[in-house]
Amino acid sequence: MPVSLPQPHPDAAPGYQLRVVQEVLLALLAKEPSYGYQIQAQLQLALGPLADALNGGHVYVTLNRLEKAELVVSARVRQGERPDRKTYELTPAGRERVRQWLADTSWPKPAPAEFHLKLVAAAAAGMADPVAIVDAQRRALLLGLRDAQRAALAEPDGSVAGLLLEGVVLRLQADLRWLEACARHWSAKEER
Amino acid sequence: MGRLLLIARLALGDIRRRRLQSALLVVMIVTTTSTLTLGLALHRVSQSPFEHTRAVTRGPDVVAQVGSGPDSTRPSVAQLAPLRHAPGVAATAGPYPVARARLTAPGASVAIEAVGRDAAPATIDRPLVVAGEWVHAGGVVLEKGLADSFGLHVGETVRLAGRRFEVAGVAVTAAYPFYPACLPALVWTTRADAASLAGRQPLGYVLDIDLTQRSATDAFLASPAAGAFQDATSNEPSALQAWQWIRTDDYRLIALNQKAMLVGSWLLSLLAIASIAVVVGGRMAEQTRRVGLLKAVGGTPTLVAVVLLAENLLLAVAAAIVGLIAGDLLAPLLANPGAGLLGSAQSPRPSLSGTALVVGVAVAVALAATLVPAIRGARTSTIRALNDAAHPPRRRPLLIALSARLPLPLLLGLRLVARRTRRTILTCASLTIAVAMVVAVLAVQHRIQLTDREQWALFAGAAVGARATHVMLLLSSVLVALAAISATFTAWATVIDARGSTALMRALGATPRQISAGFTAAQLLPGALAALAGIPAGLLLYELAGGHLGNATPPVLWLVAVIPGTLIAVAVVTAIPARIGARRSVAEVLRAE
Amino acid sequence: MTARLNQRVLSARDLCKEYGTGAGLVRAVDGVSLEIEPGESVAIVGPSGCGKSTLLYLLGGLERPTAGGVRLADQQLERTTEAKLALLRRHALGFVFQAFHLVDELTALENVELPALLAGALPRRARERARELLEEVGMTDRAEHLPSALSGGQRQRVAIARALANEPLLVLADEPTGNLDSGSTTDVLRLFDQLHANGQTLLIVTHDERVAATADRLISMRDGAFVSETRLTGGTARTLSALTGLDG
Repeated sequence: MPVSLPQPHPDAAPGYQLRVVQEVLLALLAKEPSYGYQIQAQLQLALGPLADALNGGHVYVTLNRLEKAELVVSARVRQGERPDRKTYELTPAGRERVRQWLADTSWPKPAPAEFHLKLVAAAAAGMADPVAIVDAQRRALLLGLRDAQRAALAEPDGSVAGLLLEGVVLRLQADLRWLEACARHWSAKEER
Repeated sequence: MGRLLLIARLALGDIRRRRLQSALLVVMIVTTTSTLTLGLALHRVSQSPFEHTRAVTRGPDVVAQVGSGPDSTRPSVAQLAPLRHAPGVAATAGPYPVARARLTAPGASVAIEAVGRDAAPATIDRPLVVAGEWVHAGGVVLEKGLADSFGLHVGETVRLAGRRFEVAGVAVTAAYPFYPACLPALVWTTRADAASLAGRQPLGYVLDIDLTQRSATDAFLASPAAGAFQDATSNEPSALQAWQWIRTDDYRLIALNQKAMLVGSWLLSLLAIASIAVVVGGRMAEQTRRVGLLKAVGGTPTLVAVVLLAENLLLAVAAAIVGLIAGDLLAPLLANPGAGLLGSAQSPRPSLSGTALVVGVAVAVALAATLVPAIRGARTSTIRALNDAAHPPRRRPLLIALSARLPLPLLLGLRLVARRTRRTILTCASLTIAVAMVVAVLAVQHRIQLTDREQWALFAGAAVGARATHVMLLLSSVLVALAAISATFTAWATVIDARGSTALMRALGATPRQISAGFTAAQLLPGALAALAGIPAGLLLYELAGGHLGNATPPVLWLVAVIPGTLIAVAVVTAIPARIGARRSVAEVLRAE
Repeated sequence: MTARLNQRVLSARDLCKEYGTGAGLVRAVDGVSLEIEPGESVAIVGPSGCGKSTLLYLLGGLERPTAGGVRLADQQLERTTEAKLALLRRHALGFVFQAFHLVDELTALENVELPALLAGALPRRARERARELLEEVGMTDRAEHLPSALSGGQRQRVAIARALANEPLLVLADEPTGNLDSGSTTDVLRLFDQLHANGQTLLIVTHDERVAATADRLISMRDGAFVSETRLTGGTARTLSALTGLDG
């Protein structure tokens, strides 16, 4: 039976990102029930330098939401003098959701439609030079590429976080190539 | 038919596209075939010219002479009479009167013997008139060796014993060793003139004898009749000469020439083969690549092989024909066995078998140049044939390590040598052959000089020595030219082959002069080896050809001078390719590779 | 650091290079001016055929410009003879090529010691230096291998070691990662980063943005002329995680 997710938190970034994080937490619970901090640790290991996007609170907040959506159940564990800890465990519905997610092949945001429309709109409105916009964006992406690359090089060989960074680098490279094509197109258009 | 046309078109197109290389191959094969033709001609000519002369001039088996020495008393014809009917004698001619005199002419003064002959040709000893005509009153016929030595021609005036005579003709005989193999020189006059030339001196007599068994001269000379003759003439100068002795006298003189020509012809052929190997080896790499190319654009291996074969055959046969003609033209220049003898029965025209041999060699070259790349190309995959060189350069760790300790040009040169050892060895071999020939020539020259001084000090102008020198010089020039072409070809091939690594060295900071020096060094190294090996090889060659070194070893100075001579020659020949190779545009080469 | 060298390493003015004549005239490089300070890392980016390789060859003295001048290590290249250019290349420049251009019949070690031998160093000294350099680029265990036994990335690392042999003022790299796969590219990038950190002045010509991102200055080139220049200094505009789309 399809379960609808709760509406995303108003401060959170829109769209897919949050969903990914939710399914990831579910998947990390699939092997065995775990404490919240264990999940957190696994995420940090996998994300490496990018893990600072996730603060600790984020994980627990998400776990709560998942509990409300009846995809996980929690249980209190008494620890004597120390405060109680919660363990989390997948429900059958949650397990089913994980299976679906693992089999899903949709790929996030293939086309930079927003930026493309930004250029078209700028040219139409006459408010800014599209080529200047492209150049500015290029610079930003180049800086990003530089940083991502540095981070990637700093990772030891075969690290799983390094693999993620390589993906970042390659994506940025592809974006930069497209920006180069944009620059060519819009400067040719100007000359006409 | 269409297939043949296609093949012809492809082959011709290929040749036209790579004009320089085709031309080079043609030059090499022409030189090779012409020297082969020459060698064969010389070989033919060096076979028994004396026998030929004897056959043509009906030379006598034994010559008996009495008197006409400064100490002779009155010899009489009667002393010769018993010999005419001695056992073993088949026929005789003469006796002819013989007078001693001195022949003088501008630039000539020589003792001669004048033999008085009849106008009609004799049955035995019929001298062959090669210029002018036979004796008549007031006219003298000179023996050819004499005429050539002093440059005397028909129609000139000479003085015999002070009396004026006209040179009526020049003739060749086998009855008497030619000048300067023996003194005095021989001339023929009429009987009357000979008698008058004798003047107050007693006249001598000469008898030509033919034996029943032509080669049984030893038996005859040991026979009682001969013994009686010797006893009867013991107070006078007399002689019984067998034809073999005359031949020995002749040959002693022309032996040098003969040996020179024989040795020369072997060497020419050897060098020709070595040069071809260099050329074919050089083209092999590029041919394999072309096989790959043709395959890649859809040719079946058979078609490819046939096109290659057609191309090479065309070039080779064309070159062979040119070479045959050239060798044919050159042969008469060299193929004179000696002043006083005729050449061999056939004029030195290429015989049928000779021609077949030469063309066969050219075809073999074409085949070799085709088969190996075609087979290799058919066996290796198309991609490999296109990408790799036929064989990648060799790695020689010892040479590389050694070269690191040498100054830069030698470093470059040694490494270039190490890359292509087979080519280096072939070059070294062909240079060694050329040097050996030069050394052998020096040995012969030295011998001639010594011999001149020893034996023929009386003669003005050592004509034979000059002739032998002339022959040797011609032969060695051809050899040296061939070796030079071969060396140039190798230098070019090295430059092209090392194009990539040369550009790299220049990018790393080698100056053009250093690169050029490196290329030169790469040729000088085999050159130096060739010079060192060629000296003993040349002396050995001289010994093998029958010369005796003994105390006639050429002066050490001459021999040592061969080394810098060779090095300079090699450096000169490789200078241009080296310079061009060192000044190509670096960027162009690096970008292309 | 090369602190004391306060003069520019390279200074080029209005460089032009033309090929062909008449209707077939091609301007590969069209009025390019460039200055490089010591310790800088400069990347020239552009599509293939934009003339960046030609520019590199002009700057390295491997080709003569049709017009304009290059001043390298205090020498005007257009007024120098071929022989002096060669000497200059020996001591002031190191080249890294797209096709590696290693000598096939020499081992990695022998390839790296080549420039030192050319410069007249003693064989033993040259070999020691070669070993040091191979260690710097992480190829010590392959020192005795021939280029044919090395992967593309390994060959390029050997080529980089060779370029450093004579402690050059400037290293010129022409599409150093052009023939390499992604993994080898990373190795080479790491090396270039290292060189830059050690103060080596670099000029890299490339169409790979990843390589360009290692530089301080990034110059775009199109149709033989410079189009724009970006200085990649300063912090990122956004956090890394923002780029990966993980913040939320």
